[in-house]
Amino acid sequence: MADYNKPIPDPDPYVTQPFWDGAKAGKLMLPRCTSCNRVHFYPRMICPHCHSSSIEWFEASGEGYVHTFAVQHRAFGGWADEVPFVTAYIDLKEGDRMFTVLRGVDAQNPETIKVGSKVKVEFEPATDEVHIPFWRVVE
Amino acid sequence: MPSNPSMAGALVGAAESDEIGYIEAGKTSMMLHIEAIRNVAAQTGIKISDIEGIASPGNANQIAEYLGIHPKWTDTTSVGGCSFQLHVHKALAAINSGILDVAVVSHGETGYSQRKNQGKGTGRARGGDPWAPDAQFSAPYGVAGAPSNYSHALTRHMHQWGSTKQDFAQIAVTTRDWATLNPRAVMHSKETHPNGGPITIDDVLNSRVISWPLNLLDCCLVTDHGGAVVVASAEVANSLATKPVWIAGAGENMSHANMLEMGDFTATSAKASGETAYRMAGMGPEDMEMAMIYDSFTVTAGITAEMLGLTPRGEGPSLWANGNAGPGGKFPVNTNGGGLSFSHSGMYGMMLLIEAYRQLSGTAEDAVHGLPGKQTDAKSCILNGTGGSLSHTGTLVLVAD
Repeated sequence: MADYNKPIPDPDPYVTQPFWDGAKAGKLMLPRCTSCNRVHFYPRMICPHCHSSSIEWFEASGEGYVHTFAVQHRAFGGWADEVPFVTAYIDLKEGDRMFTVLRGVDAQNPETIKVGSKVKVEFEPATDEVHIPFWRVVE
Repeated sequence: MPSNPSMAGALVGAAESDEIGYIEAGKTSMMLHIEAIRNVAAQTGIKISDIEGIASPGNANQIAEYLGIHPKWTDTTSVGGCSFQLHVHKALAAINSGILDVAVVSHGETGYSQRKNQGKGTGRARGGDPWAPDAQFSAPYGVAGAPSNYSHALTRHMHQWGSTKQDFAQIAVTTRDWATLNPRAVMHSKETHPNGGPITIDDVLNSRVISWPLNLLDCCLVTDHGGAVVVASAEVANSLATKPVWIAGAGENMSHANMLEMGDFTATSAKASGETAYRMAGMGPEDMEMAMIYDSFTVTAGITAEMLGLTPRGEGPSLWANGNAGPGGKFPVNTNGGGLSFSHSGMYGMMLLIEAYRQLSGTAEDAVHGLPGKQTDAKSCILNGTGGSLSHTGTLVLVAD
């Protein structure tokens, strides 16, 4: 952890803190509108679907599917040491999307990576306080 | 009842900075702005002191101050490379409202010089907000600028519509053909660049992978560029020696700011901004005789062709098939050589405006160095800029007298 050399998120204490608190505890916490019952991500203080301000946090399944992906052959900072690596947008089982570096795939052979693959979340401690979610292909 | 702004204003001049492309001696953003404004003033005969409005992404006020003018209208809209299309849209509305008669839209960007300048002289504030959504939820995952984002759209397009890398590579090939007719294009020939001159689909597919499925030749250049266009009321336009290119339609729209919020990775807000522009013009895709389409990447241009109604959904690259969009083709697209092979400083939208003005006013460079020339006989042009992460778009329908 002490040698984590990639960009570390800086949680804002007003809106997104519950997400990062959950990540630290190994839980994927998502915001959901109590008015229209829809999940949104990134976290907000107003529902982007129905504009209600009644948002609750719940522990999600941590499951999803690859919506699309790319293989990065050029990167900066700590990520430059990892090229090629795969980035992906994940359709969350509960709705909306997250971005990730995708694990459990062969970056040298993008043809073997499938849109729609089932993925699960895992968390990597970057600091004592900030654990970063990553998604891994599980099938 | 508000009146339709269609044809209330025209582009009456378009000029570049004294130098564009790879400026080895280096320039600042402001130098490029001032050169371009000086040149467009000389071209149109409009004195700098007569500029009533000024627009530029982020720093219109700085440019006005530098020029020592006090414009009654400023627009610093900054939403990426299509900002200039939005400036024209807003200038047209202001002209139609009687607020002003002469606005200058200006661009100066040191995509190439800023390395020499160690990041100084860009005219931009530095640093982002660590609490912004993209900083918290995208930046931790190693994305490195536009290509690393846009590649996700191409993967999804291939999955959703059965398109191929070859289909999109054709866009780069045809666009390069246009560059070979433009001596100011970075990729004009071996004389202008070691890798200049015509290319093949295999050249694109075999070029270095930047962010799979995007190869180097799917990606735009990174150059210096300054440019300025004058938007004027009909009364002023008809009083000048330069030919007017009328703004028949204009529209803008956005689907997201962060790619995390892009719903359909194979569609952009150009559908909405295009429909708005066509409606204002009372024209449709079938009335267009050429197109200037933002080509930050091959995928940008391909998807935009679909959004503007120039091809069926999922078949954007077919616009470029069989030489149709190339020199001598029936529907010329990106006649300057595009962001892919002409020049692209980071925000390409000004280059779209300048080339469209030249084509429709009959002043496109031609017969230089014995080449056959890139001037077309088009009298109408659909022009679309895309900014951000396939996020924001501005569309114009332009027509010649």
